[in-house]
Amino acid sequence: MQGSVPRLEIRGLTKTFGGARALNRADLILRPGEVHGLLGSNGSGKSTLIKVLSGFHAPDEGELKIDGRDVALPIPLGRSETHGLSFVHQNLGLLHDATVLENLIAGDHERLRPWWINWRAEAERARALFAEHHLDLAPGDVVADLSPVKRAQLAIVRAADRVREHRAHGAPGVLVLDEPTPFLPQEDVRDLFAMMRRLTASGVAIIFVSHDIDEVMEVTDRCTVLRDGQVIDTFDTATTERTALVEAIVGRAVSVDRRVAALPAAAPAVQVRDLSGDIARDIALSVQPGEILGLTGLIGSGYDEVPSLLSGARRATAGHLTLGGQRLDVATLTPSVAIASRIVFIPADRQRAGIAPDLSLTENATLPLIAGRLALNQRKLRRDTGDLIRRFSVKASSSEQAASELSGGNQQKLVLGKWLQLRPRLVLLDEPTQGIDVGARQEIYDRLLEVCADGGAVICATSEFEQLELIAHRVLIFDRGRIIGELKGKDVTKQAIAEACYKAVETHAAQ
Amino acid sequence: MRHSSLTYQFERFGLVVVWLAFIALFGVLRPDTFLTWSNFSTIFGSEAVLVIVTLGIIIPLTAGDFDLSIAQTLTLVSMATALLDARLDVPLWLVLPIGLGIGALVGVVNGAITIYFRVHSLIVTLGVGTFLHGITLYIGNSQTVSGVSPILMEWVIIQRYFGIPVAFYYAIGLAAVIWYMMSYTAFGQQLLFTGRGREVGRLTGVGVGRVRLTAFVISGVLGALAGILYTGTTGSANPNSGTYLLLPAFAAAFLGATCIKPGRFNPWGSVIAVYFLVTGINGLSVLGFRTFVQDLFYGGALVLAVMVSQLVSGRQERAL
Repeated sequence: MQGSVPRLEIRGLTKTFGGARALNRADLILRPGEVHGLLGSNGSGKSTLIKVLSGFHAPDEGELKIDGRDVALPIPLGRSETHGLSFVHQNLGLLHDATVLENLIAGDHERLRPWWINWRAEAERARALFAEHHLDLAPGDVVADLSPVKRAQLAIVRAADRVREHRAHGAPGVLVLDEPTPFLPQEDVRDLFAMMRRLTASGVAIIFVSHDIDEVMEVTDRCTVLRDGQVIDTFDTATTERTALVEAIVGRAVSVDRRVAALPAAAPAVQVRDLSGDIARDIALSVQPGEILGLTGLIGSGYDEVPSLLSGARRATAGHLTLGGQRLDVATLTPSVAIASRIVFIPADRQRAGIAPDLSLTENATLPLIAGRLALNQRKLRRDTGDLIRRFSVKASSSEQAASELSGGNQQKLVLGKWLQLRPRLVLLDEPTQGIDVGARQEIYDRLLEVCADGGAVICATSEFEQLELIAHRVLIFDRGRIIGELKGKDVTKQAIAEACYKAVETHAAQ
Repeated sequence: MRHSSLTYQFERFGLVVVWLAFIALFGVLRPDTFLTWSNFSTIFGSEAVLVIVTLGIIIPLTAGDFDLSIAQTLTLVSMATALLDARLDVPLWLVLPIGLGIGALVGVVNGAITIYFRVHSLIVTLGVGTFLHGITLYIGNSQTVSGVSPILMEWVIIQRYFGIPVAFYYAIGLAAVIWYMMSYTAFGQQLLFTGRGREVGRLTGVGVGRVRLTAFVISGVLGALAGILYTGTTGSANPNSGTYLLLPAFAAAFLGATCIKPGRFNPWGSVIAVYFLVTGINGLSVLGFRTFVQDLFYGGALVLAVMVSQLVSGRQERAL
């Protein structure tokens, strides 16, 4: 295939977000009929690259050629199909209440007449398409009734169908599969791979974005690794060792200043046993007073479920929690019981679950203090909130302004203040610094260290390994709902965490 | 600080200013008929029922739910009160709690269906309201029932202070109670979070289901109270009495949310909005416009109020 015109060629793609380089002169060449893996950890730039291709981001610099022809960037949003680019994202983009056929033809404006749909002919066409790809799908089935793998197959076949027929110059297209597998069982992933192979046999090229090195090793012809916005290298998969890929993804250690020292051994403040939720299975963990315990893993590994289960925000299927001699049944735990036991939870979805954007800072901050009171002293509440705002260095003009007027970092500091004023015994955090600038992050870390100094226990679930290196005394690594590794003290480094996460994937491939 | 700014103060009292301007305008045009104390005392007294219905709907509205059944709760309780009192001779001290109990029961039904079956309250209360109207027509045989005890009328419309029927003072007293509840009790804050930040409230230990149910029960009881006052005002019960109150009440609730405490449903704003709307209609009819002005005015006010509140919140978003 060497020498032939690449299906897609990216040169020098650069994208900056507020001073931070998300992509730095990235190159990528996609050959006709290949499956090309795109690997990299969180923040490596792979999703930025995909979003430039889909037209969601306008790049600062860079050029794109498809089949040797220049394509002007940015691609107008929604026009990528005319260039033969089609996307399947992790959420698949299917309407669950609609039938397979309705989903298949939804948005197919180029082929369908706007004023009349011949449903019988469309159903015939769909059956032929499914037969061609050996798919067990019926046009009349409702998507909600399909198994997860069939939904994924439908989304992929729809995307492939779009770029096969309606292209201006008739060549097969490019399919971008963005993490389609993390929630699928292993045997179903094989079915998807077989389907991808059949598609490439017809000349379609596939970009396969994944965090899962095994899947990339199994299905791709070549793969490209991104780290910190740069293309590290492109590998021929068949002749590449797994360890070389892991090294490329994780990179060499850049030391950050850890802000926590080793703790003397002590009796645990919090003990969790047999905790199970949607993904998490039989989790047992303990935290000692003054300790920050980090939970992490790859997408879909279940680490992020733990804080919401332990706070009663989501129902656990089983589990119990012991906190200072008090035993709580997590399966029946409600937020009010958790709060009464001085367990607080700072959720990841700040705009929906962290603050009420329309309401004032005072109203947001004082809600947990006022339960059951019949004569609120509004002036005192405002004054207390003013103090809180100062103590947690929330930049605000007044305690009466709406929470929506604050920046993300200041909103998060307000949420932290709202909960930490209760002097909690256990603080649960889910991605506490998502979308927050560096300065506010440091302030949030300061507050968490203060909780520790007071003898509180902290559990922090995050996908940001660097954050854990900075503030976690100990880190538990999750995989497929279970804890599969633990790092302590000086071993808590960004690199060691990443290696442990990727090693997990390796071990269950070997099983 | 936004709260001390001139525009904010204008927003708060804009409706009051427009109301006074209306009074001045009609007063100049028809000083003899419009600008009389008897005209005003009639307006204040007769629209107390509408004030209470409006106060009733702002409670579930604050919690994020619509109660469209409140007008039919009013009609049913009005009819039940008249029947129990005039036809069955049940003593008044028993009739009143029965009436309020009916309202509370309607609230429980609305709330239970909305919360436990997760159906939108708009649909539930639309259906329940129509069902209640059916009951009203059945028990009242589709006819107006009169002959209500004069004691009830005495305590609603005949007693006057400063020339204004006592019903007006009930409505104002109720507005004060609701104002206190919304501003100075934990329940008021929980109501607010249930409407404006339900997930935040839930995670902070607010029983949002219980709060919504309570809000429906309050609106049911206030609808029932309005029904009793309606019977007392007219001395009879008309099977269609509430039908013409629903839209004005919503218009007043949304218009009221543009003043006093802009952006929030609030009792004093609601009271002002009711009397603003009624003054406008009264003034226009004094000028000789016919009944169609009612629909123009109420319908227009509802749409305009919603537009204004969108404009206000849109301006705040742009200011970010």
